[in-house]
Amino acid sequence: MKISAAREELLAQLQTVSRVASTRAQALSGVQLIAAGGRVELRATDQEIALRVPLTAEVEREGTILLPARLLVDVVRSLSAPSVSLEQRPAEQDVELVAGNAQFHIRTLRSEDFPPFPEPEQEGNVTVPARAFVDTVLRVANSASRDETRPVLTGIMVSASERELRMVATDSYRLSVKETQLEHPLAGGFEANVPARALQELARLVQQVDGETLTVGVRQNQVVFQIGDVILSSRLIEGQFPNYRQLLPESYEHELTIAGGEVTDVVRRISLLAQKNAPLRLSFAPGELTVSSQTPDIGEARESLPVAFQGEPFEIGFNPDFLRDGLEAVGSGDVLLKLISPLRPGLIQSAEDGGFLYLIMPIRLNV
Amino acid sequence: MIAHLDCDAFYASVELLRRPEPRDKAVIVAHDGPRSVVTTASYAARRYGVGSAMPLSRAKRLCPHAILVPPDFASYKRVSRELWAIVSGRLGALQHLGLDEAYADLTGVEKPVRVLRELVAEVRGRTGITVSVGIGPSRLVAKICSDLGKPAGFVAMGREEAARRFAGHPPKLLPGIGPKSAERLRELGIETIGQLQRTPLETLTARFGANHGADLLRRAHFHDDSPVETERVLKSRSNERTFDEDVASLAELEEVLRRLARELCEGLRRRGTRGRTIAIKVRLDDWTTVTRARTIDAHTNDTALVTEVALELLRAYAPPRPVRLLGVRLAGFDEEGGGAAAPPRNAAQLALPL
Repeated sequence: MKISAAREELLAQLQTVSRVASTRAQALSGVQLIAAGGRVELRATDQEIALRVPLTAEVEREGTILLPARLLVDVVRSLSAPSVSLEQRPAEQDVELVAGNAQFHIRTLRSEDFPPFPEPEQEGNVTVPARAFVDTVLRVANSASRDETRPVLTGIMVSASERELRMVATDSYRLSVKETQLEHPLAGGFEANVPARALQELARLVQQVDGETLTVGVRQNQVVFQIGDVILSSRLIEGQFPNYRQLLPESYEHELTIAGGEVTDVVRRISLLAQKNAPLRLSFAPGELTVSSQTPDIGEARESLPVAFQGEPFEIGFNPDFLRDGLEAVGSGDVLLKLISPLRPGLIQSAEDGGFLYLIMPIRLNV
Repeated sequence: MIAHLDCDAFYASVELLRRPEPRDKAVIVAHDGPRSVVTTASYAARRYGVGSAMPLSRAKRLCPHAILVPPDFASYKRVSRELWAIVSGRLGALQHLGLDEAYADLTGVEKPVRVLRELVAEVRGRTGITVSVGIGPSRLVAKICSDLGKPAGFVAMGREEAARRFAGHPPKLLPGIGPKSAERLRELGIETIGQLQRTPLETLTARFGANHGADLLRRAHFHDDSPVETERVLKSRSNERTFDEDVASLAELEEVLRRLARELCEGLRRRGTRGRTIAIKVRLDDWTTVTRARTIDAHTNDTALVTEVALELLRAYAPPRPVRLLGVRLAGFDEEGGGAAAPPRNAAQLALPL
């Protein structure tokens, strides 16, 4: 194989693709460069997620090579010359990289250990608006679990049908649901539990790559996303995702509308003194909400804001990060806060956008 | 069975070995500067009260005739490699802690005590370094035993014997109980390991939380089932500098921080390591030490990004007094498992009925 490319372009595409390269297995720590049919493609995978991005390059000789991803990124980043050429030297089992006067010989990795990638199929795909899809991901992604011992919760349940996209994520302490209405009906639907990591990677790609539409192909045990010439595939998570509707309380004791930006700011401030797993306390009294926190040996903080609360005063505790995530996911508008009692789940909604729900479990306070 | 092997006054011994002076000389290894601290001291110097991390000025007063040598880490690394190669040649993979100590899992080693005695002699013969050995059923007991016999110690002990024998010692003898925990134990009236052994679990968990409280009690009884981890998992890397003169100018501090961040990132790139948490450490002239950290979205070892965040942290903190030490640290490496760990949980956090 022999190709040459602009350094800027090569670096940008390498940085994009190498994000998914594995940091563990040796063959998977590589980035594969494939020059075929006059095109060049870069590939990386960590076995769960696989990414393919195109590279604008001049192909002098076709072929496939596997190089250590991080080393290659570091080398290309360090170059000052505007163009780079890469030539495979089979006898030496390396690649000669030349840029200006700089010359590198980088040993190739064994391509045989690099897995084949799923090819996009022509049929059974659904095309969705990329921006709407990614915005929906970003509203719920924080709630996905990072605890690998409960794999089913590390995914985001994605459903698409007709004019609606719905995504649900929960780590069992909070649950996020976002339903996005689409302008145009979809030509088909799907439902899949996709690893949150893959969707977050997709969100990053959509922000980088031009492309208004995203093609989604859900197969037996994997999903293939295509945006422009970029293809991201991921295995799907098996197992029964919880039915979130059963978890939503039927009614609430208190429903309060609070100026969104204001309560989020208060929570951010007061959270600074809720360290080492200390809860954030929300004390409701007629006409007033007081947010307070206390960490032994560090200090305490409190701040009140007016709310239209009526009835018996009560106090409820939340994990400060979980509460902040929920408030921030509401966005700019007013927050609708629904509560029952100190040990029952609370619901955060947007006063304007009925499509977003954030159910949050409290922390038991030892008053 | 686990062995802990610990070189006696390692750096000072390496220095003595290549000098003409007799082996029993007082040697202090330290950079010579107005505010440097002792890196290590030979046993001859320790007899005068000189110890590691002591301000050099004080060490010189205590032992004015000591030979002062600047640390030469390249040499220490060379000797360290040679020494541990001898040991692992017979004991297999080791868990290293710094250049001068290591744990070995003795499972499957025939006649381990004899092998260890032979190794100590072989290391001494080939490198000139004396190793103290502790043998026990756990890392905890082994570590304390190696310390017990120093220098040139060779101590083996069972768990129950350790629990009896160290009952009169202060809790801070136990690895994992630092000055802060020791201070909090003292507030509970617990001044010895024996008293800690007799403290009800509830008292400890009420003061230290469920996990830490239970852990303290386990340690007091010398229960430890942590394995010998032969592959070292790097948690963080840092680069810091103590100034010869305290620095008050923010511009000057920023300049130093830029350089520290650049050096740190260069090292990380060589290792192919990226972190997500960028932190600074600032020690003021009154020894107040402050750390500030920020976790960013993606793993990085990019100099520009790390420098930018570190500078923001420094500006946000705005040191209120002259600064004697400034450092930058990168943690949360991606080798740890690709992404952030599960968030810590409050024991009283309620969960949805999934």
